[in-house]
Amino acid sequence: MSVDLATRLIDVLGGLLLFSTLLILAAGQLFRAIYAVAVQSVFLAIAGAVLGAATGNPDLWIIAGITIVVKAILLPWLLIWVVRRIQIPREIEPVIPINATLGLAAGIVVLAFRLSASLGPVRQAITGNALPVGIALILLGVLVMASRRKALVQMVGLFASDNGIFFTGMAVSQGMPLIIEIGVILDVVLGALVMGILVLRVRSSVDTDIADLEDLRG
Amino acid sequence: MDNTAAIGKIVAQAGLLVLLGPLVTGFIQKLKARLQCRQGASLWQPYRDLAKLLRKGTVQSDSASPFFRAIPVLVLAATVTTTVMLPVLWAPAGAARLPMGDAILLLALLALARFLCAIGALDAGGAFGGMGASREMTVGLLVEPAMMMAVFSVAVAGGTTDLVHLAARRGMLPALAWQAPDLLALFAMLVLALAETGRIPVDNPDTHLELTMLHEGMLLEHSGPGLACIVLATHTKQIVILTLVAALFFPLGLAEGSEPLEIALAGGALFAKLFALATFLGLVESSYAKLRFFRVPQFLGLGLVCAFLALALRIL
Repeated sequence: MSVDLATRLIDVLGGLLLFSTLLILAAGQLFRAIYAVAVQSVFLAIAGAVLGAATGNPDLWIIAGITIVVKAILLPWLLIWVVRRIQIPREIEPVIPINATLGLAAGIVVLAFRLSASLGPVRQAITGNALPVGIALILLGVLVMASRRKALVQMVGLFASDNGIFFTGMAVSQGMPLIIEIGVILDVVLGALVMGILVLRVRSSVDTDIADLEDLRG
Repeated sequence: MDNTAAIGKIVAQAGLLVLLGPLVTGFIQKLKARLQCRQGASLWQPYRDLAKLLRKGTVQSDSASPFFRAIPVLVLAATVTTTVMLPVLWAPAGAARLPMGDAILLLALLALARFLCAIGALDAGGAFGGMGASREMTVGLLVEPAMMMAVFSVAVAGGTTDLVHLAARRGMLPALAWQAPDLLALFAMLVLALAETGRIPVDNPDTHLELTMLHEGMLLEHSGPGLACIVLATHTKQIVILTLVAALFFPLGLAEGSEPLEIALAGGALFAKLFALATFLGLVESSYAKLRFFRVPQFLGLGLVCAFLALALRIL
């Protein structure tokens, strides 16, 4: 695959990744947010495959495959299973109104592009605009975690943030060493499992929500 | 090129657009009916409705001012005028074209039609008219700036706000010069098109239930030929929005000269694009519930943010 075509594809995929993150932020229902993050992971995997084809680095193909299996199928499935299991209301409970979150998101994306302009030398020829998009994805994931009350949606934010880290990694280094990528994925899976089990246990033993923990005083 | 021929072409394609408008509505209604396992009305039903309305007499509220009579005609005139600014079949590149107006004028005329419609609804003094007008203007407040930004995002890349030049220039570039901002602008336009054509997540075109209607609420006081004018304006506005999306993002197959083959190709491309976009509208309308009015700003907020980012990414 020619470098020019790869740059263009990565650019378009960056736009799609940004859009799917906005969908997570705009989702009013739990399932929509989960589906949106699954879609985002699919786009990330495609980006990995495109980069793998462009650079001839076989590790990126493996990463793309793992991303599809783990992040696009396994983790969303786990989240949906937990939601079905604990039977909570399906609405997302935002801390600040969703429209305000969207406004903040627009500011964050503009900021990410503005700031990464000063990182000129880091930008690589093949990945073009991927660095600012990756930074924006990380920050938007953090925004989801900060502005939602439910633990499950905060997990969705964590996945979005993690996807951003992957995309940034690809953009800057054209594929980190395989062992590091697998380690990061394992971390996320482990975190998701622990959080899922925690949510289930908290729910079944004391019938409360994560947000109520804030009221605890030592 | 001879000026008369150019004007003839522009008028011909504008007329084609106005004539096709009701057909698009009929197609969407047919698609919805089929998805609900109904036979549905014929594709030509909107034309029959228009013909029926034109034959009827007019009844007018006592409290309406004389201006009320003129409103349907003005709304229709403002909407139909926008059709001459779009590349429908012909998009001659370069200077071989008369300046008919650009995207800014197009959006302004649509806003003018919306304003006139709302004024008419307020003028008649009906309670539903006032409510419909207030809701329509609220939606307009969210849709219009977002649409401006989405159009500007594409216009910045093309270096002109003239839609015909834009489409002609872009149609020649490899892969239509698609970039990330184009994608975001396209998503924004698709979200906004649902609102602007009065389709289901925002408005319900099939109902006259007072609590759910936006656009229909403003039409209640009109009757007979006046109502026919406004309904035709609604059909035209829908096809104008769809053609605008096609012109901005898929300017393929537009004819440059006037050979029959080229024109046939352009006609086929036009039908394909309208078919795809109308199917999108029909599918969305069949698979979503209408949003509560206070949730609409959240839905449109997504379009607004996408449009803003499309413009911001283009400039940064």
